[in-house]
Amino acid sequence: MSDKPTIWRALDRKAMAVAEFTLRQQRKRLSTWVVMGVGFLAMAVLTMFYIDSMMRDYDAIDNDGDSSDFDMDGYPNGQEVLYGTDILDPDSHPGLLNPSIPPDDPSKWINEDDFDIESLASGSYGYDDDGDCRTEEKTASQQDTNSNNIPCDVRITEPSYYNGFSTAILSDRGVDEDPDDDAYAKESIHRAFVLALGKFGFVFLIGIFVPLFMATGLVRDEMTSGTMHYMLSKPIARSEVFLYRILGFLGLAWPYMTGMVVLAALVTGFFGPSDGFFRFSDLGVWMAVLLASLLAVLVYAMLFCLLGVLWKHGIILALPFAAWELGMILTTLGAPDAAILRFSVIGWAMNIVDAGAALAWTDTSLLIELGLWGGGSNNAEPLTGSLALQIFASDSGLGLTPLVTIVVSICVMLFQAATCWFVGGALFKSKEID
Amino acid sequence: MMPDPTQQGKAETKEWKPDVDMPVVYFQGVSKSYGRIHALSNITLGLSGGVTGILGMNGAGKSTMFKLIMGKLKPSAGEVRLFGTDPWKNPAPYVKVGFVPEHEKMHDWMTALDFVSTFARLHGMTRDHAEKEAIRVLDFVGLSDVVNKQIGQFSKGMRQRTKIAHALVNDPELIILDEPLQGCDPLARTTVMNVIRELGKMGRTVLVSSHILSEIERITEQIIILHQGKLVALGNLHAIRERLDEIPHTIRIVGDDARSLAKDILDHPAVFGLSFPSNTELLIQTYHFGSLHSELPKLIVKNGHRVTLIDNPDDDLESLLGHLTGGGA
Repeated sequence: MSDKPTIWRALDRKAMAVAEFTLRQQRKRLSTWVVMGVGFLAMAVLTMFYIDSMMRDYDAIDNDGDSSDFDMDGYPNGQEVLYGTDILDPDSHPGLLNPSIPPDDPSKWINEDDFDIESLASGSYGYDDDGDCRTEEKTASQQDTNSNNIPCDVRITEPSYYNGFSTAILSDRGVDEDPDDDAYAKESIHRAFVLALGKFGFVFLIGIFVPLFMATGLVRDEMTSGTMHYMLSKPIARSEVFLYRILGFLGLAWPYMTGMVVLAALVTGFFGPSDGFFRFSDLGVWMAVLLASLLAVLVYAMLFCLLGVLWKHGIILALPFAAWELGMILTTLGAPDAAILRFSVIGWAMNIVDAGAALAWTDTSLLIELGLWGGGSNNAEPLTGSLALQIFASDSGLGLTPLVTIVVSICVMLFQAATCWFVGGALFKSKEID
Repeated sequence: MMPDPTQQGKAETKEWKPDVDMPVVYFQGVSKSYGRIHALSNITLGLSGGVTGILGMNGAGKSTMFKLIMGKLKPSAGEVRLFGTDPWKNPAPYVKVGFVPEHEKMHDWMTALDFVSTFARLHGMTRDHAEKEAIRVLDFVGLSDVVNKQIGQFSKGMRQRTKIAHALVNDPELIILDEPLQGCDPLARTTVMNVIRELGKMGRTVLVSSHILSEIERITEQIIILHQGKLVALGNLHAIRERLDEIPHTIRIVGDDARSLAKDILDHPAVFGLSFPSNTELLIQTYHFGSLHSELPKLIVKNGHRVTLIDNPDDDLESLLGHLTGGGA
């Protein structure tokens, strides 16, 4: 096979020649480096905000109010409840018990009953860390206020008609009611940032603007300057020129995108909250982000190059399209299953990111619900970070399993790219070149 | 099929077979118009072998004709055939064609070797083969000592020769040169003319356009004259030359001392008038352009004059066109 002269071999020689030429041409241009440098700086600034949010301490809030001491006897309410003394009677406190119990520092009763997402047992969650549910004072029915026949746990109900089609969190009174605000904030802000940077930074901003500035003129610039004559007086079809020019652009844009995503994965991996030195659990999300952004660059490059061939001011056509895509990416946040998203590029790219996130972080929606629930006491505010995560995390919207969603979305985006190539090549072929 | 990243194998594109019964270039009633402007009207001709000069003023349709041959433009009417194939629909015949466009613009960031070898690879050559061929053709046009210099640093003549080299790299049967002498200094002009004559001797079909009659005259005898998109003359230059000799001509000489030069030239029987637009410039009026033009160099050398330029101002072609179209110059 290797020595047989074939049309394929001649074709890939032409492909290599044009792609290599295009790559070198782009490298020689100052504008290439300006666009890429601005992209890098923008991502770096966003990452600065992230690093700052990981380095700071989030105020520990006493979500259940049991660090206060209503009867001023020196024993926080939580400690009095634990030992069964009266929280309103200064003459009743654990110090009068035998043996006598010394009073706790009130700060021990802040963040003392954290969420226990991982203690998953037969569909129930939560563990009463501070013992105010498991206390012997309580009867069996008092220990099971959410009536799932498991004492002192948190019950999570599936979305249904009765709770407005959202997940409801029902805890037995006193379970997981004072979460660790700092840990929650860091975990959810971290996830929110990974999704925000992946979706808006890489797939949207870099994914659109690098092709916008670098691919719109791939064919058009040469047509305008007259240098296209050299290429078109060779035995090569115009749709081939179109395709190979894109290949050359991808030869620069794809490694750039990959480098940026890898860098972001490293920075967030080292700065993000984790038990070890590095958060390996995010890698699946970053891989999905990389896949989505590479495909987005491919489709946008084909499309913008087409628009450039269509009209010499193709960038004017590309800008409204970029605005449309911005609208679509915002739509994916609120209504990921909207039918209109099927008419966008970014809707499919977001499917890939969301499906990747669903594979890598199985508990994101639970984390959001718990944060919004905030411990279940009546005056509990949503925890810091829960709203941010709620904004940037969404379902993949196709109603399929994550893996199938990824495969389907890849196929659709490749089809979009192929269509743009086909149309762009045909348009180019019909253009007279002066 | 796997790509060939090493680019070292031996390969040919699928053989494209030209139509042997057809001339290399064939126009049948071809017109090209842009809105109301007729760039070419109803051209019918067939060209095969030898060097053909395409003469015409700016805007006469020379470049349009070439762009139709090269499939850059679609004819408004009629048929264009290149080796028997419609070039607008099929780029396959370009395997045997080399094209030197008139555009000044080149890829200035490339070296001459890069430029020629990159485009050679579009013929399906391997990288090594393309470089070898590029060096061969750059040597052929006399640029062998600057192959690794950037085109941006080249003079106009060197750029023009690089463009010619790029067109010759596939050893084409048909070479089209659009105004190859424009902007060339006298040395480059001579080199380019020699290259074109050489190609003609090698049996290639060469089409070369110019708006300066004397340039074409030094290259070939077979000419086509276009005027306002119409074919006004086609054939041997000698036949046209006889008619040309009957109309008055101007020769312009630029040298150190125009007046002393004029004294020597005034004696020549063909000269009927002299004028001096400036101290270094001499305009000679003659009825026998051919004979004077061939004797001028001898006269100048014999009397030791220093001359920097001998030129036939463009109105040569204008007056010829006026003569051919019967309107007078």
